[in-house]
Amino acid sequence: MSDRFKLPPLEIESYTLANGLRVVLNRDDAVPVVALAVYYDVGSRNERDGRTGFAHLFEHMMFQGSANVPKAGHFQHIMKAGGTMNGTTSSERTNYFETMPANQLPLALWLESDRMRSLAVTQENLDNQREAVKEEKRLRYDNQPYGQIFDLIAAMIYKNFANAHSTIGSMEHLDDASVEDVQEFFRIYYAPNNAVLVVSGSFEPETAREQIETYFGDIPSQPKPPAIDVSEPVEVADNYREWHDPLAPLPAFLLGWKIPPRRTHEYNALYLAGKLLYDGDSSRLYQRLVKGEESVVQLFGFTDERRGPSSIFVGAIPKPEQDLSRIREFIMHEVADIAANGPTAEEIEKLHNQLINDTVRMRQSSMNRAQAVAEHTLYDGDPTLINTELDELLAITPEQIRTAVEKYLNTENRSLLDVVPAGNGMKNEK
Amino acid sequence: MATAHTTAPEPLAPVPFNLPTPFRSELANGLKVVVFEDARVPLVNYRLAFLRGDANDPKRATGLTSALASMLTEGTEKYSSRELAEKIERLGGSLMTNSSNDFTILSASALSIYSEEIPTLMAEVLFRSIFPETELDLYKRNALENLKFQRSQPSFLAHEQTARLLYGDHPYATVSPKAADYEKLDRESLVKFHETAFQPNNAVLIVVGDVERAKLMEQVAELFADWPRHEYTPPMFSKINGRERRTLTIVDRPASAQANIVLANTAIPRNHPDHFAATVMNQVLGAGASSRVFMNLREEKGYTYGAYTRLDSKKLAGDFEATAEVRTAVTAPALKEFFYELNRIRDEKVPEEELRDAKSFLTGVFPIRAETQEGLTSLVVSQVLYGLPEDYLQTYRENIDAISADDVQRVANKYIQPDKLAMVIVGDAKEILPQTKEFAEKVEIFDTDGNSKEI
Repeated sequence: MSDRFKLPPLEIESYTLANGLRVVLNRDDAVPVVALAVYYDVGSRNERDGRTGFAHLFEHMMFQGSANVPKAGHFQHIMKAGGTMNGTTSSERTNYFETMPANQLPLALWLESDRMRSLAVTQENLDNQREAVKEEKRLRYDNQPYGQIFDLIAAMIYKNFANAHSTIGSMEHLDDASVEDVQEFFRIYYAPNNAVLVVSGSFEPETAREQIETYFGDIPSQPKPPAIDVSEPVEVADNYREWHDPLAPLPAFLLGWKIPPRRTHEYNALYLAGKLLYDGDSSRLYQRLVKGEESVVQLFGFTDERRGPSSIFVGAIPKPEQDLSRIREFIMHEVADIAANGPTAEEIEKLHNQLINDTVRMRQSSMNRAQAVAEHTLYDGDPTLINTELDELLAITPEQIRTAVEKYLNTENRSLLDVVPAGNGMKNEK
Repeated sequence: MATAHTTAPEPLAPVPFNLPTPFRSELANGLKVVVFEDARVPLVNYRLAFLRGDANDPKRATGLTSALASMLTEGTEKYSSRELAEKIERLGGSLMTNSSNDFTILSASALSIYSEEIPTLMAEVLFRSIFPETELDLYKRNALENLKFQRSQPSFLAHEQTARLLYGDHPYATVSPKAADYEKLDRESLVKFHETAFQPNNAVLIVVGDVERAKLMEQVAELFADWPRHEYTPPMFSKINGRERRTLTIVDRPASAQANIVLANTAIPRNHPDHFAATVMNQVLGAGASSRVFMNLREEKGYTYGAYTRLDSKKLAGDFEATAEVRTAVTAPALKEFFYELNRIRDEKVPEEELRDAKSFLTGVFPIRAETQEGLTSLVVSQVLYGLPEDYLQTYRENIDAISADDVQRVANKYIQPDKLAMVIVGDAKEILPQTKEFAEKVEIFDTDGNSKEI
């Protein structure tokens, strides 16, 4: 298959400004649209105890105005130019991005540079955004059935506090945050030498370079942020926990394993093994549990990709009368089969076609390209990996998949979270 | 140097974005074919769409259309359910069928090197599905469990009540089949329904992507030309009665961390001439993060993570909704701010600058929506299925630009009617009721199973 299909390389140009800002340009004139992504090297992994949720609260503060942009001015400038924008926070980074009509690139550069240079942090804005974050937590986690299980299992898998705590963080910690804390956070982490800027889409490279220099060139760099340690022992922190979920209509469980960092051969092999286990209607576990055994209503799984130790999950919401441990035995049976025999030739053919398909789809969108390039720049120090990441995955052999599954998944070293419906006011003991 | 940074830069020269009109054709049996050649990426998207959906379920057979849609890919004369899944996924592609209120759509996509395999599989599931008894049984049992899961989600509960309040006896009032509907599904009725539900003269095949048109049309003729045409009589639906007064409906969901608020009025179907004016009005009022209700309820008051308004326009009718999820203690203050904004856009003409900003968002974002092939496909699909003018996508931006402040005020007064709102709040009723009962003369309370209750 892969020989029938060759993807043209994306045009990548990268350089660093005098103040340390890493810049990557990816020109593609297919549609008159341009995307801009700014990635700051700060996520929940940088937070210490007593200060959780800061990286994410800060993401909100970045929309609250800067020297030349009033509160909410960022939204308004982007929208009236016909653009879309947002920001997100993960364990690894905080990102900000805009997709604009091609002729509005200068506006997006100006807006991003103004807040990198001169964020306005006031008590009023801080109080207001703390409330917005609390509502975000209620909406996404506290008021959803099963809404908290992924944060709970991360704390069971990881022993290192930097990895184990949630990105949304503790509301008590946020309440303790002062304007000075937030200003200090900005100074340390929101410096040009701690960021990556990617422009992808339709633009004139020479003009873009000039404008980037004009808007970002004179933002002063800062001392390197404090080093962090995300190392982990091999063992998971906690093998078993029961969670009484007041909103869950049915029992459920989630299995999680600690696995090597992203882009290692072993991580890639496990990512592919995960796809074989839970991705799509022809996947092993869907065919085994949702079809065959007919014991499961919903089956899901994914990998949490990190620069340090990462993780992989498989979860299920079984039908009411089912024996949950029996379902887990079936899951472990499929895992053991891959560990013993590896994937079949048909499965490898499917994986390869799906990987090519996923890559072609990702490349259609200037924003998806900008984000993928930004990750490679920030995490790997090499934006051109966007052109070889598909080949890296296609090169993983069935034997590599087999041995990675044998080593990391077919083991008792895993975390199991049991979700017990606890409606009618039953509460968890803290 | 520093002064260069103090004001927003001017845009560069605009780059035109002209969407070509697609190729349109019709087979002798009435099947319409729309082809949009798009060679930007080596992908192709197919939609075989039937102009009938859940609203067209036969009498006393709610859920039959969605069951038929789901069961199409669960086994054919040639392939089992598993073989079908393996066949399509081995190509890296996708094939699925979904029904909505108005349409049933068989969707597929793949890399363009596999573009010939896909229509063959679409024809296989469309014409030769056998609906195995065991697969139907599994579908029913999973649907029953998924129903419980839906009922645990506040957004579903709010949606269910809103549709009931706005659409009365019209099929749009039903947002999901009930347990009893699933229980009575049987293979015989599915097979019988399959014989008549899918007719070429009530269908459109839309293909967007990197295809050779002549070759595609040959294959389409080969696969679909012998499909016999049937008489199709569009059903008669109950009239949607306008609402007479404002009502408050609370769905009691104990242990809720928030109150989910939906305020709704009946508005317009998708092909209504007021569509453009209503779209601009909605942009000013609540479609985005720079719109009025978001600025007020989130950025000023901090009541919520997000407050929005939207137009849900279906084929035959539609509604206007204002929504927010707020902490329970500020439910009443949040309602007060919503009413302030709903009245303001009716009473005061929108300032020129705010109007211009809303319109330039809508026109500027258009190329971004067409950037990916999936985005382009969904634009083409709505133009075709809602029966919008053939040049709808090509003239969309001019039509938005033509809307005036008077137009916005006129449609605000026509479609936002605070005195006739259906107010639905999902959350902890004992905390919500005391705060909110003054907002409506009539208050009703339901449990999460949809049964009326007292508190």
